[in-house]
Amino acid sequence: MSFWDILAVLAAGAGITLLLSVACMAAALAVGLAVALLSRSRWAPVQRLLVGFTFVFRGIPVLVLLFLVFFGLPGLGLRVPPFLSLVLTLGLVSGAYLAEIFRGAMNAVNREEVLAAEAAGMTRAQGFTYILLPQMFRFSIPGMINEFTAILKYTPFAYTVGIPEIMKRAMSLTPVILRGLEVYLAVGIVYYLIYKACVVIFSALEKRFRIPGLSAQER
Amino acid sequence: MPLIECENLVKQFDGKPVLRGIDLVLNEGQVKVIMGPSGCGKSTLLRCLNLLDPPTSGRILFRGEDITRPGVDVRRLRQSIGFVFQHFALYRHLTVQENVTLGLRKIRKMGSRMAREKAVCELERVGMYEHRDKYPAQLSGGQKQRAAIVRALAMDPAVLFLDEPTSSLDPEMSREVVSVINKLFLDNVTMFCVTHDAFLAKYISDSVVFLDGGAVLAEDVAERLFYDHPDPRIRQFFLGVIDMR
Repeated sequence: MSFWDILAVLAAGAGITLLLSVACMAAALAVGLAVALLSRSRWAPVQRLLVGFTFVFRGIPVLVLLFLVFFGLPGLGLRVPPFLSLVLTLGLVSGAYLAEIFRGAMNAVNREEVLAAEAAGMTRAQGFTYILLPQMFRFSIPGMINEFTAILKYTPFAYTVGIPEIMKRAMSLTPVILRGLEVYLAVGIVYYLIYKACVVIFSALEKRFRIPGLSAQER
Repeated sequence: MPLIECENLVKQFDGKPVLRGIDLVLNEGQVKVIMGPSGCGKSTLLRCLNLLDPPTSGRILFRGEDITRPGVDVRRLRQSIGFVFQHFALYRHLTVQENVTLGLRKIRKMGSRMAREKAVCELERVGMYEHRDKYPAQLSGGQKQRAAIVRALAMDPAVLFLDEPTSSLDPEMSREVVSVINKLFLDNVTMFCVTHDAFLAKYISDSVVFLDGGAVLAEDVAERLFYDHPDPRIRQFFLGVIDMR
């Protein structure tokens, strides 16, 4: 088996890795946005709850949390499928980080613009949707790219719950061909290529949608 | 019937009075300028009149309807009042034209094409058509303020509120904005304008209200108030601000 054959075997798992990354990022975006929005509440119990949420999910190692969901919850009669376990785990962990990114980005939006929308007769929801949200997302782009690449690099944990992604394939291949160095070198190369492709795509998108005076660097 | 009438308007922040019983009348087609020292409550007065800051007590009548009573449709009221902010408050993620069309589409529920046509017409009115595809960061201060005025005017408001429209501009840009507002004055657009700029006040106002310590001290035509008022406090203030351009 040549090095190229090893790469081909691993690349077959790349689709699952990408799918996992995208699903986890979508979950993280939903969690991060919800937490960032709730953090605008002035109600003390909500504030305390969110501080606790951020503390817990940024503090517990991803693998521990994944095992708690996948192996722990069935003890309470709740069986979570492997794919969903990882999406839930990384969604919550990255969501806690994204919430901080969104919160900072929201604070960077000029309050007077939202006030101007309300002064013109828009509802609060309209001001949020048409003024605050689009600017907040633009300011968050660098942070979101970082978080996506972090998620990508956490996906090898998926092998521990039996998802046939790149790492799982490498773990299965190594005892058969007994060439660990080449296999794990190939794993590194595949991850690097995925990472590089994502960075190129994100940078192109960021450039395409850049607005003068509104990039994160200019805020 | 006056367009706006306020009676004994009081506004307090944390128990500290900022407006102490303001009585004012603004008729259709009239332009009233509010002047006074910093912190005298000029901007607060504007914000109270369109309920961005709800008054503590007193009454505001808009076309005879008491808008301070509970249950009033605040959004409908604000749609009748164009508000131009001191620091422009243009939506930075939208082009000049999109800044104008957003309100038309989302508040007035106009179709995209009609909104675009209306925006083009208003942009041409203040010489901003050629800048329609630029973002706020690509405009000069004067152009930003003109765009903000167009955005407010496009909604066909009954009255335009201008909160220190020239104070963040250098003299050249300030003249550019004064000339636009003066054009509106000549077109009989009803306006309430808060300013420190005596030049602006002189060229756009039917009358000037002098506010001090949250109360109206005097109201008169600009010339009389600026140069010939018997009250020494008012004479002293205008000696300091009048630029004899």
